Amino acid sequence: MNWQGELNKFLASAYKNWIISRRNIFTIFELFFWPMISLLSIGLLTRFLKMDDSMVSFLLVGAIALTILQVAQIDVAYVLLFDMWSKSIKNTFIAPIKSYHLVFGALLFGILRGSVVFIILVTVSRYLFGFDFLVGGLLPVLIFLAGIYAMAAVIGIAVCVSILTFGQKADVAAWSLSGLILLVSGIYYPIDVLPSILQTLAKAIPLTYFLEYYRSIFIPGPHHLIWGASLAAFYLIFGLIMLDRAIERARKTGILLRLSE
Amino acid sequence: MTEKSVEAKGICKMYKSLLGSSTTILDNISLDIEAGEIFGLLGPNGSGKTTLISIFSTLIYPEAGSLFILGMNARRDKGEIRKVINISTAKPNFPWSLTVRENLRHYGMLYGLYGSDLSRTVDDQIEAFELGDFRDKRFEDLSTGIKQRLSLAKAMLNHPRLLFLDEPTTGLDPDISMKTRMLVKRIHEEENISVILSTHYMPEAEMLCDRIAFLRKGRIVAMDTPRNLKKHLCLGERVVISYQGQADTAAIEKLPGILGLKAQKGRVEISIDRGEESLDQIIKLFSGAKILDIDIKEPDLEDVFIELAR
Repeated sequence: MNWQGELNKFLASAYKNWIISRRNIFTIFELFFWPMISLLSIGLLTRFLKMDDSMVSFLLVGAIALTILQVAQIDVAYVLLFDMWSKSIKNTFIAPIKSYHLVFGALLFGILRGSVVFIILVTVSRYLFGFDFLVGGLLPVLIFLAGIYAMAAVIGIAVCVSILTFGQKADVAAWSLSGLILLVSGIYYPIDVLPSILQTLAKAIPLTYFLEYYRSIFIPGPHHLIWGASLAAFYLIFGLIMLDRAIERARKTGILLRLSE
Repeated sequence: MTEKSVEAKGICKMYKSLLGSSTTILDNISLDIEAGEIFGLLGPNGSGKTTLISIFSTLIYPEAGSLFILGMNARRDKGEIRKVINISTAKPNFPWSLTVRENLRHYGMLYGLYGSDLSRTVDDQIEAFELGDFRDKRFEDLSTGIKQRLSLAKAMLNHPRLLFLDEPTTGLDPDISMKTRMLVKRIHEEENISVILSTHYMPEAEMLCDRIAFLRKGRIVAMDTPRNLKKHLCLGERVVISYQGQADTAAIEKLPGILGLKAQKGRVEISIDRGEESLDQIIKLFSGAKILDIDIKEPDLEDVFIELAR
């Protein structure tokens, strides 16, 4: 098969997610309502507490990162969730595709939606709270977003693995995993304030390092971007291997059939 | 040597519960299906038809046994096999909010179709399966019959060499069922593909299948052509005689070649093994009665099914 056919196997998931999102009125909540609630509540909190610029940037970088992460990770998880909800999972897994076609195709659409949310949040935070997110230039922004999207892919893959291992009820994982990330990866506070066991966990999460890197633009300090990027690459590769194994196991246990009934 | 569509030896499948108990779904299934055949899998609900089709289509894996699909090893070459097979499932399901055309495009993309080839293939299938009036209708708004046609259209997107049809007419009205059977026959003839079909509708199997395997409790209990199955099970012809007066039904039962007899007032139903030879002798035993009607019926697969499902 030539590269165009191979490319279309990736684009198939993006195409499906795009049409389903376009026809779902509640997409507006995912793209506008919740991101705005998140940004406005944190921004107004910084006003109320009369925080200085460095604290404002600390919190708003966290709020923007978390929101983009949530939007993009759910798009990766949707690649299986939509099939599971419509009981059409058989049709997908009888096609000659690999797990990476599904994941990266869905991630492509997640990046598109995440980027729309990013532009909205950056614009709003500049005009309402005087916070210039782009002050460090384009390259740091691209690195920061790449880290968030890699993390989103890892969480989305983890949700897919849960569904294929534990069945339908595991979709609750889709809504919970980013909450765990919020708790331990230093979204709204430095990880130093966490109990030591949670600090260890935080150091195993790539997002911690991407936040540290991007905040260093506003609050100069050391960062460990290379370590964070290496961790993200490791989790992504490990996640894809685990997803392949979960698909194979679901074929052995017959859970693929049960998900279609 | 001609290539076989399926060569299965000793296929077993069991499902394990969380508590460790296991249920055997398929037990030592061995069969060969020739290229170009329409092969039927028949059996009551829960006999393992869908599981067997799912294993043949590489959707799930067996616990034991060896399986070759179109000459390729089902475990080692599964990626290559999936390029040349496809399936239309019972109770077809697709993403709800995608239209007929969008669903076909989506699955066409999963099969690596692109550009004008993708558009042409999608349009061809819409035309071939008479889906033109529904091309822009969402899946959730389609009737069961149209959903089934969409499922068949999707199954033909990659021009498969081996097509699996899992209960393709379940839940359809009789006229739509007949149309679907004609479609399957047409696909088989025009595309020269092998078809493996599961059903529990006997007329469907009789109309479409070259050979049939009967499954019961996960085992093949009989496998042959529909004609031979009826012959080997000695189901014989059914003769129904309506009459007035007295007939010696006890004497009929003792005649050679009589397989069974059910007598009611003025009506007797006899299964005979020897056609007209027995019929002459039966009629002689009605000399004291007036025969009103004689109805002779060939056995059908329904009779075979009832016999084998016992």
